[in-house]
Amino acid sequence: MLVLLVLAGAFGPFLPIGDPLAIGAGPRLSPPSLALPLGTDELGRSHLPRLVGGILETFLLSGAAVLLTGVIGISIGILAAYLRGVTDGLIARFADVLFAFPPIILGLLVVSLAGPGTLAVITVITVATLPLFIRAVRSVALGIASREFVTVAEVAGASPVRIMAVHLLPNIAGAAIVQLTYALSIGMLIESGLSFLGLGSQPPNPSLGSLLQLGATYMSIAPWLVFPAGIVLALAILSVNLVGDGLRDALDPIEGRRLT
Amino acid sequence: MRLLLHIAARMGMALLTMLSVSLIVFVAMRMLPGGFEMIILGPIQTEEARAVITEQFGLDRSLPEQFLSWLVAVLHGDFGISMITRIPIADEILRRLGATVQLTAMAVITALCVGLPLGVAAGLADSSTSVRTCGRLVGALGASTPDFVLGVALVYIFSVWSLGLTVGGYVPFFEDPLANLRAMILPASTLSVFGIALILRTTRESVLTVMTEGYITGAVARGDDPASIVRRHVLRNASLPVMTVATIYLSLLLGGAVIVEILFTVPGVGLYTWNALLNRDYGVTQSAVLLFSGVIVTCNMLVDIAYALVDPRIRGRRQQ
Amino acid sequence: MNAIVRARDLAVDYTMPGGVVRALDGASFELLPGRSLGLVGESGSGKSTLGLAIGRLLPANVRHAAGDLEVDGRSVFALDDEGIRALRRTSLGFVFQSPMAALDPTMRIGRQITLACGGQPDVGRVPELLQQVGLPKGAARAWPHELSGGMAQRAVIAMAIARRPRLLVADEPTAALDTSLRAQILDLLVALKNETGSALVLLSHELPVVARVCEIIGVMYGGRVVELGDSAGVFSRPLHPYSRALLATAHDGARPGERLAPIPGMPPVLSGPASGCSFAPRCAFADERCRSERPPLRPIGGRLAACHHADGTAPERGSGMSSGM
Repeated sequence: MLVLLVLAGAFGPFLPIGDPLAIGAGPRLSPPSLALPLGTDELGRSHLPRLVGGILETFLLSGAAVLLTGVIGISIGILAAYLRGVTDGLIARFADVLFAFPPIILGLLVVSLAGPGTLAVITVITVATLPLFIRAVRSVALGIASREFVTVAEVAGASPVRIMAVHLLPNIAGAAIVQLTYALSIGMLIESGLSFLGLGSQPPNPSLGSLLQLGATYMSIAPWLVFPAGIVLALAILSVNLVGDGLRDALDPIEGRRLT
Repeated sequence: MRLLLHIAARMGMALLTMLSVSLIVFVAMRMLPGGFEMIILGPIQTEEARAVITEQFGLDRSLPEQFLSWLVAVLHGDFGISMITRIPIADEILRRLGATVQLTAMAVITALCVGLPLGVAAGLADSSTSVRTCGRLVGALGASTPDFVLGVALVYIFSVWSLGLTVGGYVPFFEDPLANLRAMILPASTLSVFGIALILRTTRESVLTVMTEGYITGAVARGDDPASIVRRHVLRNASLPVMTVATIYLSLLLGGAVIVEILFTVPGVGLYTWNALLNRDYGVTQSAVLLFSGVIVTCNMLVDIAYALVDPRIRGRRQQ
Repeated sequence: MNAIVRARDLAVDYTMPGGVVRALDGASFELLPGRSLGLVGESGSGKSTLGLAIGRLLPANVRHAAGDLEVDGRSVFALDDEGIRALRRTSLGFVFQSPMAALDPTMRIGRQITLACGGQPDVGRVPELLQQVGLPKGAARAWPHELSGGMAQRAVIAMAIARRPRLLVADEPTAALDTSLRAQILDLLVALKNETGSALVLLSHELPVVARVCEIIGVMYGGRVVELGDSAGVFSRPLHPYSRALLATAHDGARPGERLAPIPGMPPVLSGPASGCSFAPRCAFADERCRSERPPLRPIGGRLAACHHADGTAPERGSGMSSGM
């Protein structure tokens, strides 16, 4: 299902479903019909291509932000776990400070500084997911760093950089990917939340969050606008979460047990 | 003794974190379009007033000095004056705090009361395939539905069929408890769903992990009955990750409160901050960030302390 | 006298993602009250499974396939849940490999021993237990992470004997400990067995260690007990070719704690009952009969052995085999 959504988002612009930005593709706020499968919005734009474009926007923004989180988080997390001591302490405090800002509130702060838009969204998602990710990477890397093969590499004279890149990185990759999927789902929550508030990607570009807000505005007269966006958004986040669950189970299965 | 030391260290760290947070907020205020004077002064932009402010806040002094005096002001509850209402921001926030506290408290309590027992049950009964599937699905689904999607759906449903609950129409609890609850149940439930899911899945996984531990096998091998194994060993040890996740929930919850307060027109701090942002009343936004961050840092510290109370291994260590 | 524990042709299967694995393939043995039995075998021989089966502590993916296992006269696989719990409380005590994992990290030692006693022990019972296992009285106030591995295992042993079990099962109780502590812990187990009159089943992969500590030795291979007899006899004149090979690896200067790799080949992984002798592929004396017909565990010279040739068909080639390694 994730594949389906990603494909829909990626190839949406090439599908013969109409232009998401074309005003007056049909009458304003018209209900779904054969020609306009999901109806039209307040400017008469066809809703289906807007929805598809919104999926792309949501995945792109949160994906880019989470990628940033991944790169920064993995380096910092490994650094903390390998160097320990003062560096570790500083990084832990740094994560604490980042964690102190609740995502949407942080969005308000960033927007008040930089104005709404893509940059603000990416900043907020990265700052919000980074502390969780650093902690996760650090704790996994701590376990790996105390294993014998790292000591062996040290004794053999490998440089710290080499140990971190060659010995720690591959061993935390699995856990990091699982955490990144979860970060992506949180990122999508934040992205859509921000654009729901109108702080994210700006009109006329569609995003699932802004579509929802629009839908909510016209909910009583045009309910066909709000529900597809809401359902697609929930499904998109759900599929990312399920992928995370699946990956984690494959890497680290936990068997249940009975108490007798 | 070690425990007391640990608590003291944690409090020190929380203070340090809070200091960094306020530094960031301070710098953010300085970077604001319009500058600091405008925020403090509001619309009274006369030369004399500027001079007074420059004098009072020492804008001619170095930035670190300014930071200190601003910090002192904030610590005295002086967040500046709202540009729109010309009322001290602290008073405005204080007036709206009740609704937000009630909203988040209701959400957290619901999330814990529903999520914890379900999570424990799902973790204990994991050998049953149906429970396993159900537990994961509910967990994943709840954690995937954005609060505003759910909120919009609830607004839609309950504006068609009221069922005794109201969308909007907030009344302070002490004026009319019944009307208050009728207005608050929907927004609070909206906020609690994510928490229920998050706490359910964390509790479930945590219980599952603890169940594989050697001391559980040991207790089973001694013939202890399942109920007392759960009570004595499982719950205590499984509670640690749940507490961590609860702080994550809190952080998302405070942000979610903004959205839900807007959706359900609950006159809380979130709605106030939002309106202030729309009106470019940035001083309010900054103050709210400071306030919410303070709540999170405090809760983080409390969880750290609770961790140390439950797990003696933490006490000796300085970090983590 | 009735046996405290008796297994008859016990077979259990693990259900794995790749299919069924037979962990016990008709294991039989019995032990009289107050005696000590050392079960020896490589990892994968089924000894841990057998140890867990005594308390019906097998994981959820394990199925009791055939045979019977009685503890204190009761068939453990026939008991209901409360029945097996009562049996564990009254008759059994377990000591596992990793003492640190066996202690709840969030509880003081004294509290854990109190719970192991059944909740409300007599005043003085906890100090008495601590003293029995050689821990100072102050250990009751300690948290698990403050103990060394050896002290933690002593605490675990105190918990295992807290309700005066009639049978103590110790699965590689020294595997996670420093070599210097191993003898101490084993001696403690034997001393407690003599002191309290309980029986002891000690699972280990080190034949010499077990031979020193236990009165009876059971050698396990391929999910079966292939030789069972008094330790002096098994140790000095093993009947089964596998016992001989096992002993040879130890005699050839291997230090305690080393894996028994020098036996050529790998232990078998069965998916159902073995049709012949499961040691046949690694055995120097195996013939057609060994491959096609299961050797029963039969009395030979005051001992039991499961080998077609154990009664002297090929006795002298055994020493040749060990020097060949």
